[in-house]
Amino acid sequence: MVIGEAAIRAGCRFYAGYPITPQNEIPEYMAEHLRQVEGGVFIQSESEVAAIHMVAGASAAGARSMTSSSSPGISLKQEGISSLAACQLPAVIVNMMRGGPGLGNISPSQGDYFQATRGGGHGDYRVIVLGPATAQEMADLTMDAFTLADQYRTPVMILADGMMGQMMEPVVFKEPQPRVYPEIYIMKGAGAGKSKFIRGLILDPLDMEEHNWTLDRKYQVIARKETRHELYGTDDAELILVAYGTGARIAKGAIKRLRNTGLKVGLFRPITLWPFPTNELRDLAKKVENFLVFELSTGQMLEDVRLALQGFARIGFHGRPGGVVPTPAELANVVTRQYDRKQGIIEHH
Amino acid sequence: MNTAMNHPKSIIENFDLYAPKLVSKEEFFSPGHRACQGCGEALAIRLMCKALGKDTVITNATGCMEVISSLYPTTAWTLPWIHVAFPNAAAVGSGVEAGLTALRRKGKIADRRVKSVAIGGDGGTMDIGFQALSGAMERGHDMLYVCFDNEAYMNTGIQRSSGTPFLASTSTAPAGKKIPGNQVWKKNMAEIMVAHNLPYVATASPSYPLDFMKKVKKARRIKGPSYIHCLVTCPTGWRSASETCIKLGRLSLETGIFPLYEVEDGKYRLTVEVPEKRRPVQDYVKGQGRFRHLTPDQIQVIQERVDIEWETLMIKVNCSKSREELRAVREK
Repeated sequence: MVIGEAAIRAGCRFYAGYPITPQNEIPEYMAEHLRQVEGGVFIQSESEVAAIHMVAGASAAGARSMTSSSSPGISLKQEGISSLAACQLPAVIVNMMRGGPGLGNISPSQGDYFQATRGGGHGDYRVIVLGPATAQEMADLTMDAFTLADQYRTPVMILADGMMGQMMEPVVFKEPQPRVYPEIYIMKGAGAGKSKFIRGLILDPLDMEEHNWTLDRKYQVIARKETRHELYGTDDAELILVAYGTGARIAKGAIKRLRNTGLKVGLFRPITLWPFPTNELRDLAKKVENFLVFELSTGQMLEDVRLALQGFARIGFHGRPGGVVPTPAELANVVTRQYDRKQGIIEHH
Repeated sequence: MNTAMNHPKSIIENFDLYAPKLVSKEEFFSPGHRACQGCGEALAIRLMCKALGKDTVITNATGCMEVISSLYPTTAWTLPWIHVAFPNAAAVGSGVEAGLTALRRKGKIADRRVKSVAIGGDGGTMDIGFQALSGAMERGHDMLYVCFDNEAYMNTGIQRSSGTPFLASTSTAPAGKKIPGNQVWKKNMAEIMVAHNLPYVATASPSYPLDFMKKVKKARRIKGPSYIHCLVTCPTGWRSASETCIKLGRLSLETGIFPLYEVEDGKYRLTVEVPEKRRPVQDYVKGQGRFRHLTPDQIQVIQERVDIEWETLMIKVNCSKSREELRAVREK
């Protein structure tokens, strides 16, 4: 609901979605409220594939567009996300992750990290991935997602999970930024002007190569400029937990417990999952030697942390896949088991 | 309702009266599952399984039935049962049929007919599973597809589907002051399947259990693809009282909203008699919360549509000929 309201306030005027738990609150909210704003169109599509492609059409026609789904539905949408990236069309995609693989279950999980941060569909492309951890951040990042999507003409994904989707917290909506999107990219009938075309099929290998490099240059700019992260109690920390989204919330609870016992633990929370804040994390390794990655998966973000820290630090890991949400107490216990003041992280990953 | 009163023939001649005693006592869809009180769909599946018997492999699309019947580590199914994803029950079902055929041809399994039966709800059949269903039917697999249509995505919280009736209120087509619920007419799925030139298409309802089971048995016997569209009551989604489950099914027939017919080789036939003077749509609509907001004018719009649909169907029933009949004429 927060996402729906934030999207409408940010100027989203087209939403297409399909029923899947645990994200039905978004289409239901949009069904009621998007139609009440001027020019707002809500469509419940006949399938996930149709929804993402309707978003592509609406985006090409110049509307701020959004779709949402949960893990299995996002898998179905990948063809559309790949072509949005290829056609350089802005769009916002919300993924309320649930347990997988397959239909899995409907409990909170973080098993789609790979899919989201590596592009997800076929071809050489990336999607900007934002990982909110509070309802407030869901509102803020949804608004930012539309701005980023327009600015870089690329699909942006909000990666949250079933727990974030069902959470209740007070939210203050910020003032939305006015939209900057050159008319040259909008298809609206040739009329007196020049005709435009949008395509994702480029048969000539040399042309296609050029297109790939163009996209890559754009992704490099994003990677340089758009990383976001949060530091929590890292100033005096001897051990740093790395977690995002719901995982980071649990980690904060665990850190409070551990600090009460005298163990100085901090948190590094990536907010952009792609681009991953690699340099910022590596900077921390200059003064801290031990890191512990915590995820609601079998270890996906762990790979990005390894790429950032390999050789610089000792990395431990704790994961609970399949929709299990552990308590902060469990995580605190894991930390005391895996971390020894003299030896550092005992099980090095 | 006294059935004997409606059938002037002697009771002995009327086999249907005794047929319930011949129905298998064996349960293939066991009790203890988690369906809501008064769930028409669970009842329909139980009847379907009784009619199908043991030599069956069931492919289930995602939906209420998969969730309520298979909560790990329990299952209500005593028949072989596979559940994969939402859009593909018909595709998986056709794979099951092709796989069994291949093994039988190689002599690796006993040479007996095992029917592949795919089932899905209205969303999984008429929306996201439509492409796979059309493909499977067009390829001509020896399989049966049964759509249990409760007229919305009940499993995820009553979102509209293309099976949702005109003006019904759902969570993604809420009835408000300006827009009174769902704005489009229900897709006529049985007709779309008839257009696939299937040897057997039928509509059914668990409120007429023997008719439904007869149709399932017939579809099982027929070699080639067949399709049954079964309208089932959902008290949760229709906002109706649980005990009216069977009554609403009967009303849907008596008002002519959902007539029960079969199309065999292109020939239409009504299988359950509809009273000469059909009941008004009002009778069907009034017990359901999803139609609570309707004004008399809106009900009249629905009534007119139902009348026209009914007349169209009657023309088909009276005039259609099976392909075999048409061939016979040509040969003369």
